[in-house]
Amino acid sequence: MNAALEFELLKARRAGVFRWGALVVAVGVPVLCTAFFELVRLGGDSPSAAKAATMITELSLAGLLATAGQVLSVTILMTAGIAASWSFGREFVDDAMPALFAIATPRSSIAAAKFVVLAGWALVTVMSTVILTVISGLILGLDMDPTALQTASQVAAVGLLGAVLAAPMALVSSWRRGYLPGFVALVAVVVVTQVVTAIGAGAWFPYAAPALWMGMGGAAAAKEVSVIQLLLPLPVAAMAVVTTLSWWRRAEAR
Amino acid sequence: MSTVSIRAHAIARRFDDEQAVAGVDLEIRAGEIVALVGLNGAGKSTLMRLLLGMLRPDGGGAEVLDCPVAVADRAVWSRVGHLIETPPRYGELTVAESVYSAARLQGWDRGSARVATAATIADLELEHWQHRATRTLSLGNRQRLGIAMALVHRPDVLVLDEPSNSLDPLGVVRVRQLLRMRASEDGVAVLVSSQHLDEVARMADRILLLHHGRILGGLDPHGADVEHQFFQRILEADQAEQRPR
Repeated sequence: MNAALEFELLKARRAGVFRWGALVVAVGVPVLCTAFFELVRLGGDSPSAAKAATMITELSLAGLLATAGQVLSVTILMTAGIAASWSFGREFVDDAMPALFAIATPRSSIAAAKFVVLAGWALVTVMSTVILTVISGLILGLDMDPTALQTASQVAAVGLLGAVLAAPMALVSSWRRGYLPGFVALVAVVVVTQVVTAIGAGAWFPYAAPALWMGMGGAAAAKEVSVIQLLLPLPVAAMAVVTTLSWWRRAEAR
Repeated sequence: MSTVSIRAHAIARRFDDEQAVAGVDLEIRAGEIVALVGLNGAGKSTLMRLLLGMLRPDGGGAEVLDCPVAVADRAVWSRVGHLIETPPRYGELTVAESVYSAARLQGWDRGSARVATAATIADLELEHWQHRATRTLSLGNRQRLGIAMALVHRPDVLVLDEPSNSLDPLGVVRVRQLLRMRASEDGVAVLVSSQHLDEVARMADRILLLHHGRILGGLDPHGADVEHQFFQRILEADQAEQRPR
């Protein structure tokens, strides 16, 4: 393992933002969605059951997974965005940046290692979310049929697409030298996504397309999301990563 | 004659309307300890940042180990150690992990980094705290840690910004001994900045006075009263600036 990756892994292992973020997503999402699912399955006319019924359209494992996918599309963006902002922004807030100059390991390698750690964290978190949701469904006695398997793959894809969309927050935190600007950008992205989706242009907006595909805008809207629209997060993330690495290569330690 | 390890020629840097460093020429040879002294805001830290490539100069340039700073690569930087302004701030890492990480980032393999970490922690008398998170350290011990991280890979060039900051008297003596030993035995070129004139007089081979971003000249570290030389030079420079042309 190279030194930069070893260094970033060491810091990530100690960081509450990674630990708690993974816990909130990988445990929180399955538990919350399973609770909603049971609320709907048991029936009742409480306001909570009525609200949960709008999210869970099908009382099957595929239905449970689809709900988890919709919640995951937002929570993974939020937690990965916070983790990315913190990971890059802390170097400035903690005054650690000067120590990363004039050393044998280039700064761009350290920034690349941060992205690798974030990607690994996101992969583990998303896959854990899918697996724990499936286990919850099986405990409830739901069947693992081909539709459930397909939905599980869709949830994993949506989770990973949501995670890569956190990359621009790394750029903002680097450029503005702190994690708060990254957090502000994250909130702004969520607000803009809501607005864009409300006016009906969501499928072309990279931050909205995965959630729409997962059914957040209804079954009809999900079918209209094209492959190109769904893959838009990838060039967005790639541009953010390349620009961030370039920024780290050229930035001064002021 | 020993080789020049750090060289600056007419190096300058401006921040908005403030000329932080105004055309400094400098040479530091292997085995030599040079101290930069000056009032707050004189440009000491900015000059050090320019020499380490942390800032790009507006004019002039610098070379470290015969390589222009602008194009220096890992082969050059792996031979440089530095501590600029603040000690390291990864509060969640232990002292040993911090020093080990510094060695690894300087290109050392794991085994050598572990050996060097233990030796450097002993050199800085940090053994008692080596498994403590750095956030729990006193400011003085954080400073010792910062110096350990700058020294762990046995660099040929050391740039230390106020290394005796926050150190207790024992720490000041220990760091002075270490730097003198590295300079005389290993031929390390050392540039330190300091506000403590007595301390630099004991440590340095040469003292350079920086004022308003310019080197006013050298002070004699073995002279009778370094403090008197310091203020005399500054007063003369300020009076010369105010004198009508």
